[in-house]
Amino acid sequence: MVVIIGSGAGGGTLANELAQKGIKSVVLEAGKRLDTSDMENDEWTMFQKISWLDKRYSAGGWHGAVNHPTLPAWIVKGYGGSTVHWAGVALRFKEFEFKTKSTYGAVEGANVEDWPVSLAEMTPWYEKAELKMGVTGKTTGMPHLPWNNGFRVLAEGCRRTGRTDYNSGPMAINSVENDDRPACQQIGFCMQGCAIGAKWSTMVTELPRAEDSGFCEIRTDAMALKIEHDDTGKVTGVLYADSDGNHHLQKARIVCVAGNSIESPRLLLNSASEMYPDGLANSSGQVGKNYMCHTSTGIYAVMPEKVHMFRGTSVAGIVGDDVKHMPERGFNGGYYLEFLSLGLPFMGAFLEPGNTGWGRSFSRAMEQYDHMSGVWALGEDLAQEQNGVTLHGSELDQHGLPVPIVAKTPHNNDHAMTAHMVESTSQIYEFVGATDIYELPPYPASHNMGTNRMHADADKGVVNAYGQSHDIDNLFVSDGSQFTSSGACNPTLTIVALAIRQAEYIAGEMNAQNI
Amino acid sequence: MTIRFHRLKPSGPDHAGISRRMFLMTTAMAGVTTSAMIASTGRAFAATLDQGESATLLRMVQDIYPHPDLLAVSHYQSIADAVIANAENDAAAAKDLREGLARIDAQSQHLFGSDYIAIPDPDAREGVLRKFQHDGFFQGVRWTAYFAIYNNVDVWPLFGYQGNSVEYGGYIDRGFSDITFVPDGPSLAERMAEVQG
Repeated sequence: MVVIIGSGAGGGTLANELAQKGIKSVVLEAGKRLDTSDMENDEWTMFQKISWLDKRYSAGGWHGAVNHPTLPAWIVKGYGGSTVHWAGVALRFKEFEFKTKSTYGAVEGANVEDWPVSLAEMTPWYEKAELKMGVTGKTTGMPHLPWNNGFRVLAEGCRRTGRTDYNSGPMAINSVENDDRPACQQIGFCMQGCAIGAKWSTMVTELPRAEDSGFCEIRTDAMALKIEHDDTGKVTGVLYADSDGNHHLQKARIVCVAGNSIESPRLLLNSASEMYPDGLANSSGQVGKNYMCHTSTGIYAVMPEKVHMFRGTSVAGIVGDDVKHMPERGFNGGYYLEFLSLGLPFMGAFLEPGNTGWGRSFSRAMEQYDHMSGVWALGEDLAQEQNGVTLHGSELDQHGLPVPIVAKTPHNNDHAMTAHMVESTSQIYEFVGATDIYELPPYPASHNMGTNRMHADADKGVVNAYGQSHDIDNLFVSDGSQFTSSGACNPTLTIVALAIRQAEYIAGEMNAQNI
Repeated sequence: MTIRFHRLKPSGPDHAGISRRMFLMTTAMAGVTTSAMIASTGRAFAATLDQGESATLLRMVQDIYPHPDLLAVSHYQSIADAVIANAENDAAAAKDLREGLARIDAQSQHLFGSDYIAIPDPDAREGVLRKFQHDGFFQGVRWTAYFAIYNNVDVWPLFGYQGNSVEYGGYIDRGFSDITFVPDGPSLAERMAEVQG
């Protein structure tokens, strides 16, 4: 029996892959059951309905420690995890992004390392992920989505400034009917959960299929509290709480942790024992460290005519021209510009977050809402040891577990990259006549990575190239916390590709009686 | 190239008078604010705020999110009423609110020698409020106003936001790609060609 903690991109994919191989699993999902009928076209309603709102603290030098003090991350608690909320951008890492230490060299103040896998090794797994998820592009032959107003403005600015790498894909949103799911109706509200299932999520694909196979049981409202182990050090099961607060022990031959990059290290740390006083799988001391969430900013331009950016897919196009390592720009790594619509409520909340977002200039900006097009710029966030997840010394959550504190302080690399993002985006929009440009500080992170990093060397990382912990053979990490570096791109496709690959590895090791 | 960094546009003049859109607004808001509008004339706030304090609160709400060309005063009054109603159920909040409004007037007297509502320059009034923007009473008023304006389906059309779309079949046939000041995107045939072969 494999016990998988979390039902998102990593856990949900792993459960279905194992199920299709006839390997039994139980998925422990902390949140409630969700389906497409729960998805409403309303930003705050869905925020309240699906977000992970258990007590957490935001710390460190980023603005959110002040402006979002209890919301370090914007992720989902529920059946399907954060694949309910993701926008569908399905990009692959570039080769150099797997080899950041080799490419960048040592970076002062950062903890940059190479992945123990390469793009060449990952390419067949990326292809399997793209086929599974129905990603538009050459692997599937599905055309990219039609261009909406907001992206057409951005694309024209890209054309006029000599850029060449801009398109409405690759997206894991059906441009045509595919895999028993309908084609996109340009509804918008992708990040509030696709109401028709045109967007891939484990909620609509992997989880129901795993359950239908007869090899997987998914328990919702099941919060993992502690991973148990025996005298030999192997993990033996997971203690969890049900919705009434009753505790249960689920025995396991293998445990796979996929609770996103805050809960996964938190669970390993909370599972400390006499044998593992620093937490499970933590002989390297890297559990909970190297938290990365992408260097990011929102940039919104006011155009001379109405745009109505909210019409159509939320992330309607991707600009990749700046995803390259050019140290002469003054920073390491690259970044994407992704057209992203916000509804009026979220624009009002994120245009100027915190106590100062009001007044005459704020209100005038809001009156320009229907003339706006904008991007979410996201780029490589260098790992730093001091950025990470620690446990509160005294405060406990509703399950009696120490509340996690998520610390994030930007590196100088982030400041230099952010300035470049703003300059590039301003140029693009000014070449189509933008009259005003607003820079929004980072949102609470939906891309959370690195807190159980992969490394070939057991002293420098928590897991090996298959997500298997260096310390305990039958304990795996199956989510984005495995990432050695963040890359510039959205993490989901890589999480799914790694989960498919991990399932193959687990099946092989089980057959060989190695675990 | 230097960055043109127009983070916040300098304040221009507010639009005065009642515009056509404001009349539309009054109609659109009827279902939501009728009771508040009717109540606002004869309502006794003595339990929580006196008449002067109520006037200061109304001006404050208008200065926090000023949309004089879009929103009728009655809408701001309904927000002020909601703030007062909340305070009526919470003695500590009511005390905070009254003391906060008094501090706004004291600061106005200190800087301009007049009560807050008598300061004619809107930027000067905003400056007075900025001093108190981190206070609990201020943020309570501010977030009440935020939700009543930017998260209000009846107000959204005035900002050009259309909200819920799935029940109308999305925007695929309702203008998701209807602007004319930039070129069209690629056709389906072009999008098919780029991913095949």
